[in-house]
Formats: sequence, structure tokens, C-alpha cells
Amino acid sequence: MVDINEDSIASRREFLKQAGGTAALGAGAAAALPSAAQAAVSETETKPRYGMLIDLRRCTGCHACSVACKAEFDVPLGSTRSWVEYVEKGNYPTVSRSFLPRLCNQCTNPPCVPVCPVNATWKREEDGIVVIDPDVCIGCKYCIQACPYDARFLNPVTGAADKCDFCLHRVAQGLVPSCVNTCIADARIFGDLNDPESKISKMIASNPVTVLRQEMGTEPNVYYINADHSDPRQPGQRHEYIRVDTHRRNQERA
Amino acid sequence: MSEEFTWGLPVIGYLFLAGVGAGALTVSASMFLRGGEGGRGMHVDTARYGALLAPFPIIIGSGLLVLELGSFQAGNWFRFLNLYKVLNLSPMSIGTWLITFTIGVSLVYAYTYVRNAPGLTIEQRYKLRNVVSWLAVPLGIATAVYTGILLGAMPSRPFWNSPILALLFLISALSTGVAAILLLRALFHRAAKEPESERHIVHTGYLLTASDAMLIGFELMAVFLFAMYAQLTIGNVREAVSVLFTGGSLASLFWIVFIVLGLIVPALIEIYYVVPKLLYHREFVIPKGVEIGVAVLVLVGGFTLRYVVVVAGQITGPIGI
Ligand code: SF4
Ligand code: SF4
Repeated sequence: MVDINEDSIASRREFLKQAGGTAALGAGAAAALPSAAQAAVSETETKPRYGMLIDLRRCTGCHACSVACKAEFDVPLGSTRSWVEYVEKGNYPTVSRSFLPRLCNQCTNPPCVPVCPVNATWKREEDGIVVIDPDVCIGCKYCIQACPYDARFLNPVTGAADKCDFCLHRVAQGLVPSCVNTCIADARIFGDLNDPESKISKMIASNPVTVLRQEMGTEPNVYYINADHSDPRQPGQRHEYIRVDTHRRNQERA
Repeated sequence: MSEEFTWGLPVIGYLFLAGVGAGALTVSASMFLRGGEGGRGMHVDTARYGALLAPFPIIIGSGLLVLELGSFQAGNWFRFLNLYKVLNLSPMSIGTWLITFTIGVSLVYAYTYVRNAPGLTIEQRYKLRNVVSWLAVPLGIATAVYTGILLGAMPSRPFWNSPILALLFLISALSTGVAAILLLRALFHRAAKEPESERHIVHTGYLLTASDAMLIGFELMAVFLFAMYAQLTIGNVREAVSVLFTGGSLASLFWIVFIVLGLIVPALIEIYYVVPKLLYHREFVIPKGVEIGVAVLVLVGGFTLRYVVVVAGQITGPIGI
């Protein structure tokens, strides 16, 4: 785990800024990441844009990812960076139950970023990961309001906004995020969306994929195969029994 | 509604108090300027109440905001100063600078009303008051508008994401500002020695009461447009605004406390007392108790508006996933 106790603002910012640079060096270590050779081709094309694809044909709803994430970051009780929703619908015997693992979408147009009054959160030029500097953040919660995916929360220990950062400290070492690493079903694929040869790019190209709340214009970088987008609040669907359960503190999907 | 809100009572209190302060500042400075005669216009005795009040709600409201910050609650008490290291396009950043500037100006403006203020001769006070008033009017308006923009800036919050919200907050700020001035004046004013200034007091009271009735009219129109346009769409916004209508969890608070008690009732009472002078040129007389009651209703309405809006924005969101 990365040392999160650095106390100078500058040094943390440096880490967040530099982690991408190291990623290119360590990239060879992980199959899902771009190869070092490719990284040398050209400035613009080589910059990775990390994304995740969650294949719900494989997901068993086992919560291994939720647990791995909790452990990786020591996420305080009651808060979640990564969670799994259970979607139940229909009336017996015509029913379905599916799973929807959730995390920050590392949006291409992240609405959480421009609202920050102190520039404590930004989308990294070098890899597209949206990060928060907890030593700068004042905890005003504006970004929490602005995220259409409820991906952010206030970390009660640091007093700063917090969320999934694709395990930046692992990615910087050439590793895949912890949830991907732990997934028992290989349902999570992490990689560089800018590299057409990456597994994630190929999977996205060869499967029907969706993103969450596409109409918000955020252009998420987390894709799903076979996701059930049913929501109990959709007016047209209220006759049908739909229940969405999450293990987050307020149970319901926000 | 037992869930915890990301933005709770401190933010609601802030939006209300900043509105009252900004409204009182704008109303006080503009009536002072309208009164003419350099430093001693005919409305100055009433403007004084607004001037001396304005800085306090703004300062207290901003203080509440700091208490609500995650960093403050986690023990980083001065982390909020980071706000002053940056100026970016976030409404909160612009708002911080704006409100800081407004507090400064409102303090100077208030100081020019302090009798025998140390360091200033009477002429200097009047002169300063005149100059500062020209700053105070736009700053008060900007502060009131910004409280609406703060909420309106987020597509993820369909209830708030309406251009008319900022206008609604501005009108409400001016109306509650007038109410606060009338309330303070009713509570603290002792009849002046010269009948001349007493006549001015009554006349200013008439103008303020009439203006408030008009402001409430505009406010009703803004609320109507806000709700109607939301109703006329489909999807997120319509779903969000449904918390205000039949069966919605905020419906009674919105209709009974805000619309009826906070807007319609005080407006009707104001009109009742204003009409004899307006139409028949009779003397304007309003019992002190009524004046106080109306002001309190308007203030309660203003708080309820902020409460309903802040809560509604957070219990609703985009539908679908
Ligand atoms: S999912 Fe939310 S927190 Fe993550 S980048 Fe998008 S808007 Fe920001
Ligand atoms: S909570 Fe922190 S990161 Fe989020 S907007 Fe406020 S200061 Fe910025």
C-alpha cells in the first residue's frame, strides 16, 4: 500500500502527478496495461486513458471486489469506494436478479471537477484518472453533490472527499486495481482505452456495452456488458416489482 | 426523511442568512441613495437599521458554512483558508471572494452609520456612506444571486438545476431584507423629536411595505414559473419537482408554510394597509404588532423556501441508472 501519511501538500500532489509517469515504466509487468514499446510511439497516442469493463455475464455478486477495496484503502465504516448493487425485478415466476458493481466512472467530462473551489480534485492529463488531494480538499462536499453517480463520499477520518481512483498507487506500479485483481470470475477488465490492442478495447469493440446514465453527458470510462439498467424510480416501470439493494449505508441507490 | 443530508441545516441557515444580509444591505443602500441629500436623505433613519444589521447575518451564515466543512469537523480548523489561495470558476470559489468582499463593504457601510464613529468627521462619514452605497447595492444583489447559482450549477441535482432558482433567491433575499429592516425598526424605533423626521419614518415604512408586497408578487411569479416549467417537462426534473405536489414529502411545508403563510398572507396584509394611501391618499397607519407579525411571517417563509429547496434537491436525483 502506498504511504498515505505524507504530510506536505506538495509531496502528495507530486505523487498524484508523477504516478502516471511511473506507470509507463512498470507497465510491462501487467498484461492489461500498455506495453512499453507502444508507449514510445507518439506523445498524444501513447497517453493511456484507463478504463474498466465489467462483464455481468460473469459477475456472481460475491462482493470480493467490495471487500478488496475496503482493505486496500482502509475505507472507514459506513463508507464505500466500490460497491455492488443487487437488482431484483419481476413477479414470480417471471423474475430476474442481477448485479451491478459500482465505482467512480473516471468520467471524461467529470462534473465533480469544475465545482471544486480549491482545485483539490482534477482529471489527470496523463491517464484520465480523476483524483482528489485530501491535503488540499476542504470537505465542502460540493463535488459529492455534483457527481451524478454518488461515487464520492466524505471520508470522516481525513475530512476530505474520497472516491475510487482506480487504485492509482497500484496502477503506478504496473499492477491492476485491487478489485480487478481479486475478482473471482474475471468479470472486471482494466486497461488502456487508447490502445486498440488492449484486451479492454477489443472486448468493448466486440460486445454490446453500455455506460451508466449516459444522458448526463459525463462519458464514463467504466463500461458494462449485460447490465440491467432498471431503476425503481422510473415512472413507466412502477407497475413492475423492481428492487435495488446496496450494501451502502443508505441501502438505496442514490 | 431520516437520511443524512450531504448539506444539512448549516447550509440551509447559510443560504437564508446570507440572503437576509444581502437583501438588507441592498435595500438599505438603495433607499439611502434614493433619499438624496448627500449623507442625510429622507430615508436615512430607516436605512440605518438595514446598514447596522446587514454584516451580521452574512458573517454568521458564512461561519455556519465553515462549521459544516468536512475538514473543520475532522480537526483541520484552518483548512478552509485554502479557499483564499484560489480563484476559479467554481460558483463556490467566486462566491467566497464575493461574500468576503461584501462583508467588508457591509462593515464599512455600517460603520458610516455609527454616530460619532471614531476617526471620521461627520462630513467624512456622509461622504464615505455615499461612495460605499454604490458598491453595496450591486454586491448585495450579486451575493443573493450567487446563493442560487451555487445550487443551480449541477445537472446531477435536477431540482436545483434551474436558471430561475437564482432569481427566486434574489427576490426572496430582497423581501426578507425588507422584512428584517421593518422588524428591527418596529422593535427598536423610538419616536423622533422632530415631527419632520417622524413623517419621514412613516413615509419610508409605507414605501417599504408597498415594495415588499410587490416583491412578494414577483416571488410568487418566479415560484409559479419554476414549478410550472418543471411540471411541463418529462423525466428527471418533473420527477424531482413532484416532491412539492400531492403526496410529495415536502408538499405541506412548501404550500402551507412557504406559499400561504410566508407569501400570500403577508402580501395580503401589506396590501390591506397600503391601499388606502395608494388609492385614496389617506394616511398610512399600520399597528406595530401587525408590522412585526408580517415581518416574522416573511422571514419564516424565506427560511422555509431555503429548507424546502435544499432538502428537495437532495432527496431527488437523476432517475434511471
Ligand atoms: S463518477 Fe462521479 S466522482 Fe467519478 S469522475 Fe464521474 S462525476 Fe466524478
Ligand atoms: S469536497 Fe474537497 S474535492 Fe470536493 S469540491 Fe469540496 S474542496 Fe473540492
